[in-house]
Amino acid sequence: MIGAFLYLTACSFRNRLRRRLQRLREPRYLVGLLVGLAYFYLVFFRGRGRRRAGGQVTAAAMGAAAAAVQFLGSLFLFASAVVAWVWPSSRPPLQFSRAEVQFLFTAPVTRRQLVHFMLWRSQLAILFGSAIATLVLRPGSFAGGWTLLAGIWVVLMTLRLHLMGVALRRLSVASHGAAGLARQWLPVAVVLGAVGVLAWSVAAAWPSLRALTDGPGVFAAVQAITAHGAAGVVLWPFAALVRLPLAASAGEFLAALPAAALLLALNYAWVLRSDAAFEEASAEHAERQASARVAPRAAVKGAGATPFSLAPDGRPEPAILWKNLILVGRYLSLRTALRLLPLVILLAVAARGSAGHGVAAVMGAAALPFAAIAVLLGPQMLRNDLRQDLARLPLLKTWPVSGAALIRGEVLAPTVIATSIAWLALLLAFVLGAGERAGGAWAAIGESRPSIFAAAFILAPAVVAAQVVAHNGLAVLFPAWAAIGATRARGIDAVGQRMLLLAGMLFTLLVSLLPGVAAAAAFAAVVYLIAGTVLVVAPAMIAALVVAAECWVAIEGLGRILDRTDPSAVEAVE
Amino acid sequence: MIDVQHLTKTYGSFKAVDEFSFRVGPGEVVGLIGPNGAGKTSTLRCIVGIQAPSAGTITIGGHDIVRAPVEAKRLLAFMADEPQLFEYLTVMEHLRLTGRLYRVRDVEARARDLLAELQLTGKEHAIPAELSRGMTQKVAIACGLLHDPKALLFDEPLTGLDPLGIRHMKETIVARGRAGAAVIVSSHLLHLVEEICTRIVIIDHGRKVADATLAELKAHPELAAAGSSLEQIFLTATAGEP
Repeated sequence: MIGAFLYLTACSFRNRLRRRLQRLREPRYLVGLLVGLAYFYLVFFRGRGRRRAGGQVTAAAMGAAAAAVQFLGSLFLFASAVVAWVWPSSRPPLQFSRAEVQFLFTAPVTRRQLVHFMLWRSQLAILFGSAIATLVLRPGSFAGGWTLLAGIWVVLMTLRLHLMGVALRRLSVASHGAAGLARQWLPVAVVLGAVGVLAWSVAAAWPSLRALTDGPGVFAAVQAITAHGAAGVVLWPFAALVRLPLAASAGEFLAALPAAALLLALNYAWVLRSDAAFEEASAEHAERQASARVAPRAAVKGAGATPFSLAPDGRPEPAILWKNLILVGRYLSLRTALRLLPLVILLAVAARGSAGHGVAAVMGAAALPFAAIAVLLGPQMLRNDLRQDLARLPLLKTWPVSGAALIRGEVLAPTVIATSIAWLALLLAFVLGAGERAGGAWAAIGESRPSIFAAAFILAPAVVAAQVVAHNGLAVLFPAWAAIGATRARGIDAVGQRMLLLAGMLFTLLVSLLPGVAAAAAFAAVVYLIAGTVLVVAPAMIAALVVAAECWVAIEGLGRILDRTDPSAVEAVE
Repeated sequence: MIDVQHLTKTYGSFKAVDEFSFRVGPGEVVGLIGPNGAGKTSTLRCIVGIQAPSAGTITIGGHDIVRAPVEAKRLLAFMADEPQLFEYLTVMEHLRLTGRLYRVRDVEARARDLLAELQLTGKEHAIPAELSRGMTQKVAIACGLLHDPKALLFDEPLTGLDPLGIRHMKETIVARGRAGAAVIVSSHLLHLVEEICTRIVIIDHGRKVADATLAELKAHPELAAAGSSLEQIFLTATAGEP
């Protein structure tokens, strides 16, 4: 049976490669490949001699920071394992394609053989990921490269097996009901116990941690707390795994190998021992994926409250906003909200207990970059707009709605969400960071702090909207290049295409912001020359208004293009 | 109501529809039939504004679908063979969204009537994943009928329906025609076309090869030899049979 699986994997790989080579006949894919190759060359292979020297420096630096890296790596693996248990994915443990379901599920193949097939199939992705990670970390020598590659493979493979095992166990619990829960109590108890041990260790040292104000100090203290005692025992398996790719020599690698290999073997055996009947969930998932590439990846939670009551009459834009906000709401649930509860409690305790000092100040400072991320990356991550709906263009084109009105409605949802997150983060930064006024970075700014935050509040939606319009504009102008719907094209050429799109997006953003910034600067300069006052809020309002006007004009133009767009131009991505 | 004049649709060098003209008046139920690749779907997609015609004009109730698409689409409903629903909206939310887009004022009452008519009562809060293929089709039809369209286009309307659903669908189409709507039914099910359509348009290689009632087709000198069934007439008209 392994032979058949190998044959299927090899043929699929070969034909996928052939298909990608064939599509290079289209100039956009060829250009994308060239850009992608250039990117990889510049990042990974530029100046082999320098790379070797740089690699030695990197290796040396890694050696010096090995303890910190190992600690962070262990924590990451531990968190991944815990999250897998307490935050189960809506995806089935084994994700088969519809063709695989139809061919393999009906064939005389055992469940265990299907698991082996999935493990075989995942090897390409894991090996590719390991190779990329090895290139990124630039080992100092060829031998170091192989130990790093092998070490990362063992870590990724163990993680993959563990996550698969968790998903299988959860499925088994679900299918066996109370009896299943009784059989699965041990791993759940172990996970809960491990979290409890770590939490207890940190809680015991909380008074001393709370007294610390600098980040490196807190980090070192937490590292010391978790390195010994019960916390050290809890993190040992994860540390044992991380030790393998961090091995500085072949000797260290061989010394770390038995423990890591044992963990890999244990997870493998655990997965194979599972009796979970995954076929139904896998088949259902495959159908859902195949039935519509427009379907988002996660499962819809079911009917629930709508963001607001939709009036029966009025402009179409609010209706499209309503629809796209429902999309977000249907992927959130009470359980999701409850998962965020610890973070909210932590923030509340920090705000109340520290009153603007210590941890609260650190969080206040952390909220600022979070706001920046929401403004700059939010529009890229939130795709509940035309990037999702262009896959349904035939349906949208039957609506009695102009292209401009459609785009206006579509860009509203990500703009509203990203802006809300940014505003919340800015509010947190303003409130929690208030204590820093006396001696922190804000001391020099002094009384202007509220004005600066008000300006940020005003500018955030404009910058977000400009990006969302740019993203949707690129999707309308180059539908074959944009990632439409839930699927993503893969391959180096696709990476190149995405980079070109990102560059185009950044260029568009800069160009769109320039007039607003220029108008605001001119206004501020005139006021300063006349009155000697430095205004912040009013120029921000001018800049925001100019950007909003630009967005409006751009949407009108894009709407006309969308009206003429043939749905066949929106090709299916692999 | 639906006026197609010299419609041409090309994809690159391939001409899918070639100088195709026909009219559908109020109260008429026209069957659009043709072999695979004849140009039926391209014609329907041009009529409803999904695709732009390469040449020719299409007007719906006097509104040009290219020049005044919003006004023309307000009168239209298109029921595709593969209905596309938003997987995160419930049945009722689909109807509310459609009602808002088409400016239907009494959407709640009309929606409940339609759901009852299409045997979807009790499924108001179901999302598409909880519906069968046939029910999904019915939801799409309910959305299409919500704004009381003056022109309806059905592309393979019986796909995925159970016998009772098929019967109700036929009754729905006929009822809409009798209520004064212009209806186009594109289907390979010739017995359906024969049963419910008042006129038949046959298209082949993008060109119109027949446009008449079934009685007129049977009496046509070139087709009379084919026999009395639409299937025989169709095969003869499209040269499917010598």
